[in-house]
Amino acid sequence: CRAQENESQDSTWHAVASWTWDAQDETCGICRMAFDGCCPDCKLPGDDCPLIWGSCNHAFHLHCILKWVNSQTPQAHCPMCRREWQFKG
Amino acid sequence: MAAAESSLASPMCNLAILDSLNKNSVGEMTDSWNAFCLATENLLGGGGELSLDPNFVSDVRNLCSRGLESLIVEHFLCSVEETFEKNGASRFWKHFGVYRDSAILDMEDPDQQSAMQDILHKALEEIISEKQYQEKCLLMLVHALEMCRGSKSEEQTYLKTERNYLFSKYQLTTASVLMASIPRQFPDVLRWYFKGRLEELSAMMARGSENDSELHEDDGMDLDCKTAEMDIDGTHHHKSTLGNSKLVRNIGVVVRDLRGLGLTSIAEDAYASAIFLLLKAKVHELAGDEFRFSVLESIKGWIQAVPLQFLHALLAYLGESKSYESPSSGLKSPLASHLSFTHHGTGIPSEGLVRWQLRLEYFAYETLQDLRIAKLFEIIVDYPDSSPAIEDLKLCLEYTGQHSKLVESFIAALKYRLLTAGASTNDILHQYVSTIKALRTIDPAGVFLEAVGEPIREYLRGRKDTIKCIVTMLTDGAGGNPSGPGSTGDSLLEELNRDEENQENSSLDDDANTDDKQAWINAQSWEPDPVEADPLKGGRYRRKVDILGMIVSIIGSKDQLVNEYRVMLAEKLLNKSDYDIDSEIRTLELLKIHFGESSMQKCEIMLNDLIDSKRTNTNIKATLKLQPQPVADVGEHELSLDNLNATIISSNFWPPIQDEALIIPGPVDRLLSDYAKRFNEIKTPRKLLWKKNLGTVKLELQFEDRTLQFSVTPLHASIISQFEDQTSWTSKNLAAAVGVPVDVLNRRIYFWINKGILAESIQESGDHKFTLVEALVESGKTGANTGSCEELLVGDEEGETSVASVEDQLRKEMTVYEKFITGMLTNFGSMALDRIHNTLKMFCIGDPPYDKSLQQLQGFLTGLVAEEKLELRDGMYFLKK
Ligand SMILES: [Zn+2]
Ligand SMILES: [Zn+2]
Ligand SMILES: [Zn+2]
Repeated sequence: CRAQENESQDSTWHAVASWTWDAQDETCGICRMAFDGCCPDCKLPGDDCPLIWGSCNHAFHLHCILKWVNSQTPQAHCPMCRREWQFKG
Repeated sequence: MAAAESSLASPMCNLAILDSLNKNSVGEMTDSWNAFCLATENLLGGGGELSLDPNFVSDVRNLCSRGLESLIVEHFLCSVEETFEKNGASRFWKHFGVYRDSAILDMEDPDQQSAMQDILHKALEEIISEKQYQEKCLLMLVHALEMCRGSKSEEQTYLKTERNYLFSKYQLTTASVLMASIPRQFPDVLRWYFKGRLEELSAMMARGSENDSELHEDDGMDLDCKTAEMDIDGTHHHKSTLGNSKLVRNIGVVVRDLRGLGLTSIAEDAYASAIFLLLKAKVHELAGDEFRFSVLESIKGWIQAVPLQFLHALLAYLGESKSYESPSSGLKSPLASHLSFTHHGTGIPSEGLVRWQLRLEYFAYETLQDLRIAKLFEIIVDYPDSSPAIEDLKLCLEYTGQHSKLVESFIAALKYRLLTAGASTNDILHQYVSTIKALRTIDPAGVFLEAVGEPIREYLRGRKDTIKCIVTMLTDGAGGNPSGPGSTGDSLLEELNRDEENQENSSLDDDANTDDKQAWINAQSWEPDPVEADPLKGGRYRRKVDILGMIVSIIGSKDQLVNEYRVMLAEKLLNKSDYDIDSEIRTLELLKIHFGESSMQKCEIMLNDLIDSKRTNTNIKATLKLQPQPVADVGEHELSLDNLNATIISSNFWPPIQDEALIIPGPVDRLLSDYAKRFNEIKTPRKLLWKKNLGTVKLELQFEDRTLQFSVTPLHASIISQFEDQTSWTSKNLAAAVGVPVDVLNRRIYFWINKGILAESIQESGDHKFTLVEALVESGKTGANTGSCEELLVGDEEGETSVASVEDQLRKEMTVYEKFITGMLTNFGSMALDRIHNTLKMFCIGDPPYDKSLQQLQGFLTGLVAEEKLELRDGMYFLKK
């Protein structure tokens, strides 16, 4: 068994994958950009422009929903389902 | 006497005298006339001995007193003409009878040369002495006439003009006799004569300057020094040597004699054409096929040293020797004013000499220019080594203004030499770039470049691989043309960037002409666009030739170029297994400078994905220490996460990826799942989607006696791993085992057959069967012999790419219109590109609307032509029947 491991040491597999947020929808309901892309204010997708889910289970770009929430005083609602917006804990 | 009768009838006779004639006086007159005629005949035919009948004067007086003076003169001149024809002209021309068939002459032969020289000298000497004798005879008649006139002063002055008239009449007569009988070959003979003498002179001068340089070994530019010397203070170095040289004197004598005979223009034509011939030969000799040195200065130096020296000396000699010329040479040559070189000794070049210098220099510039234009293609191939030749050509063209010659000739050369099916797109592109670089020296505004570049661009647009080659040339330093300029592994973009930085450092910014000084500089350097300029394209003064812009203009838009780059970048990045993207980052920075940051946004994200992948990969490996891998199934080849690395892409920003199904070996598949799980743990809620057909596998195959290393695609690795447990497979079973269609398997498995690892046989059923050639060593028995390794890289196979090419993408998008195009061509028979484009724009407004560029359409149609669905003739597309 050890010998087998030795044999394989020089063989390496460099694989390719794509990442996805695995949201139900393709695009953000606020900016209409792809979730796996980024919001209009960002240049880089992924960690730099994360998604956030509401308690209603609707997802948005974090930056998009923050802007939305800040503009909706005193109480913001989910742009999709009009329920009171709560960040999913 | 016929002559007498005709003269009597002439209105010049005083008719009143006829009334006073009586028989006696008529007899006396007849006697005198006869005596005069005889004396004239004797005098002219005297064979050089001037013997005058003593009664000549009294006969003349007698006839004059009867008003027959004009008759006398007329008769005398007629006799002189007759004699000159017989004794002068015909004998003179007879000398040159041997050269009647000029073809047999070999003027390079020194013996023939000197023979001809002797003949010319002798013939001239003979005819000149005959002429001088006749002039003396004429002078005698003049004396006789003078004696008939009293000594009244007004008659004396009358006689002076009459005398001049007589001599110029004589001069004209002899000249016209000669001209009337000039043999065809005489101008050639003269040309050869002058050519020979000039060559002799040139050799003499060359020896002279050799001696000079021996004297002043330190100054390497003795030619320039000499000319400068002459220009400044006129004490010319060679003037005395040349002026006194026997050679120049001999030539001077010939020219003077020819002028004396009224053959001035023939003589001048002959030495002028000899000078131009020699100059042309000299230009060819100096310039030749050598492009690495400037020759213009040495040509100008030579003009100063040889032909101008010669003319200087010749004109000086002719000026001095005027007094020796026949006193009657009142006839001025049409070039006489050029030749009035009289400032001998003052050192100021005469107007004639200056004019000669201008003529010769213009001719030299034109000759060199023609020579360089004819070789411009080669010169550009040699660029930048050939930049001295380009610099020369620039000066020549500035002088002659014949830029259009360059454009025409170069376009013809391009079409003949470059724009052919045999030339690779890369070669054409490199020549295009070299052309731009070379010609912008000559043509900083890019006016002619526009014309020269158009056929190349037009041709390249018809080639399918043009965009790809352009992108490679721009971004890839290593893959470019090794003979190209700056082949230090720099990409063209790198080079352009460096040039720009240099320019910025050396000159002030063009656009910022806010200060007066800059405005003044700009104003001074303003030049109107030459006639060839298309007013729509030029116009802005001090327009810089934009190499990148001229390259992009081949494609049509920078978006297409960027798109192509993105596809190539994707391919490159997906095949990387080391995350090393330093050169790609550098290239991206350069592309951003030229095409703008926003155009390169997606490429930037792609590179960022690689950087992120590297970080994530390290982080995932780090989780191993905290959370060890589950033990794999017994009996399986064990692999650890150490053997797996991954590139994780943001697929929205990448070009479409060829996603093909593939069943990879179980252990690897489990590793991928483990990796994905760990990714999800650190990046919640993000998930990984494997593209199992993509990536690179480095594997090692161990045989009894050797170990081979390969770097292959996952499919190849999956195929070969199937042979570890079972050494023989039918293609159908193997295809099922790795999860690809049979035809794909049969195509891709050739890699292993070519390497000699697998052997193919065809079974009775028609199914292909693959067998391992040499047993793979059971891993446990591995010997230490890993000496010979074979590193084979992926990408050995053609046409196997991870990313859908731009053409493929375009093709996919365009196929919607194919039916439409076919329909149009069925209706209209044939259509030009523009018309197809416009028709599509007009009618395809539905879904999807037609939004392609003309170039994209052309690319698509070119594809259809290649598939033999369409035909392209004279710019028209037809349906292939
Ligand atoms: Zn959004
Ligand atoms: Zn964002
Ligand atoms: Zn909601």
